Amino acid sequence: MSGGPVGSAAAEARILVVDDEAGVREGCRKVLAAEGYEVVTAEDGEAGLARFIERGPFAVLLVDLQMPRMSGLELMREARSRDPDILPIIITAHAAIDTAVEGTKQGAYSYIPKPFSPDELLLTLKNGLERRALSIEARSLHEERERRLLEVASERSKSNTIIACMTDGILVINSEKLVVLRNNAAASILPECASRPIPFPLEVVTERGVRETISGVLDSPGGFEILSREIGIGKATYMMNVSPVIEPRGGTSGAVAVFRDVSELKKLETAKSMFVSMVAHEVKSPLAATEGWLNLVLSGTLKAKAEEERRMIQRSLLRVRTLRNMVSELLNLTAIETGNFTLRRALVDVAAVAAEVVEAQREKAAEKGITITVCGGQGPQAAGGPGTRHATGVLADKDALAIVCTNLVENAIKYGREGGHVLVTIARDGMYVAVSVKDDGIGLSPADSAKVFDEFYRARNEQTASIPGTGLGLSLVKRLTELHQGTVSLSSVPGEGSEFTVRIPAAQG
Amino acid sequence: MTEGRTIFLVDDDHDFLELEKSILESRGYRVIPFSDPQAALAALNACAPQERPALVVTDLMMKALDSGFSFTRALKSDPRFSDIPVIIVTAVSSQKGFDFHPRTPADLAAMNAEAFFDKPVSPEALLAKVEELLK
Repeated sequence: MSGGPVGSAAAEARILVVDDEAGVREGCRKVLAAEGYEVVTAEDGEAGLARFIERGPFAVLLVDLQMPRMSGLELMREARSRDPDILPIIITAHAAIDTAVEGTKQGAYSYIPKPFSPDELLLTLKNGLERRALSIEARSLHEERERRLLEVASERSKSNTIIACMTDGILVINSEKLVVLRNNAAASILPECASRPIPFPLEVVTERGVRETISGVLDSPGGFEILSREIGIGKATYMMNVSPVIEPRGGTSGAVAVFRDVSELKKLETAKSMFVSMVAHEVKSPLAATEGWLNLVLSGTLKAKAEEERRMIQRSLLRVRTLRNMVSELLNLTAIETGNFTLRRALVDVAAVAAEVVEAQREKAAEKGITITVCGGQGPQAAGGPGTRHATGVLADKDALAIVCTNLVENAIKYGREGGHVLVTIARDGMYVAVSVKDDGIGLSPADSAKVFDEFYRARNEQTASIPGTGLGLSLVKRLTELHQGTVSLSSVPGEGSEFTVRIPAAQG
Repeated sequence: MTEGRTIFLVDDDHDFLELEKSILESRGYRVIPFSDPQAALAALNACAPQERPALVVTDLMMKALDSGFSFTRALKSDPRFSDIPVIIVTAVSSQKGFDFHPRTPADLAAMNAEAFFDKPVSPEALLAKVEELLK
């Protein structure tokens, strides 16, 4: 069955001849075949329809009117209902001319009275085929146009959907300062516009900055200026960009305002500048203290003894060292934050790492008369080559783990009681390996406990005033632990001591 | 003579407390150090009138950024202490673009202080200012 241009084109040179006179059928076949047409014949209407259905498509239906079983007109109707492009030509005896004329009214292209010469047949056929080609072309043009229109309509609905769903707010304002489009986001940013039917005057917008910026673009003499401005609406900050709609023939016909929520960026920016000024202050203090001590030594104001001067220089050194630690901790923290801190994970026995760290800190502890006990694990000799499995084994970066343990043990000594005791426990805790470091020192108030993992936060009171520290150690402990999918917790009682516990997922097996 | 008079010194940095104490003591002042402005205020309130300090030297950024300012405000708003001259010595001279440096006597008055120094203060400058304020 044909209908589309492809079927019609395929039908181009195929002709169905239906006549109950075998002579006419064969005559037509000979003439047409000699001209290169492919001819199929049928002896009556019913057979004609069957061939039409089985062997189609055909370009032309040459049909006799008076036939048994199904008349030519009936066959023509059947064929045309199946293929509107078919070109029916009636071949008829002179006596049936009236019927043939009736046939042309019902869609036959023409009729050829019998008997006809081959030239008559071919001429009619040629003209008919030309007309058929023209009508097929016209129809395909029409279809193409319809398809384009449909596409445009669906493009428009696509654009509308895109504009409506954009997270940026959009307002379109014409040169008469009427808002002619606002999307959903704009309606929620400027709620006064939400219930207004489009178009509505720009004055409806309550935010003065918004009106002024839009007017600024519409009223600018050149009309080619794009204005950008940060606008606070409610609790949010928006970056508002207004660009003119420029006509192809020059001049502007309106403006498009886009509102982007930059509140999160703003918060980040503020946090960043606060962090920078905090770092600046934290760096300035130890430098100023060092400078102060050195000044005092050099100025001779105190007329100090050599021994006293030595002590002042030692104090300066202490601050400089703290500063250096701070810088390297800061670099580590930044590396973690920017994702540049690469963990080299291997199977590590937490007990062995903790034991090594404790050994390194024993001297410092002894200066304060503090004894350290390690509980759990098998001591430093079990430092475990790769592949060894312990109940306290984890897949971790050994250096990072050592930094974590060192910070906790150092803190326990720094904030521990003179002559006191530090207990380091390493134990399997369900799916985790837990290291806890407990001291019997000054402890932390609940307020300090809440903030002690924040960068640069240090508990400040009479007891901590003389203890040097960067305020970054515990931040680093927390970040490094979290890089290992672990957690840090703290329990502390002021005046009794603190216990920090780090939990890291245990290695499988 | 100004020597032998009592000075309250407030700073949460152990080094500055000791440093400034040494400087002031070198001229014979009696220095009482505090690492917390709350403790200094408590001590002031507990003082008999004749034991009150002749001068206060304080840091600005202690527990909270403005703890030094609240301390000087508390001092100057109390008629018992409002005559005591205050010297601010601080490492915070600006915060988020806001410059703390007083440029006029009015700025200083707004800070409730008689003098302002950046850390570290030179021993000579501090001693000269103390002497001037105690005259």
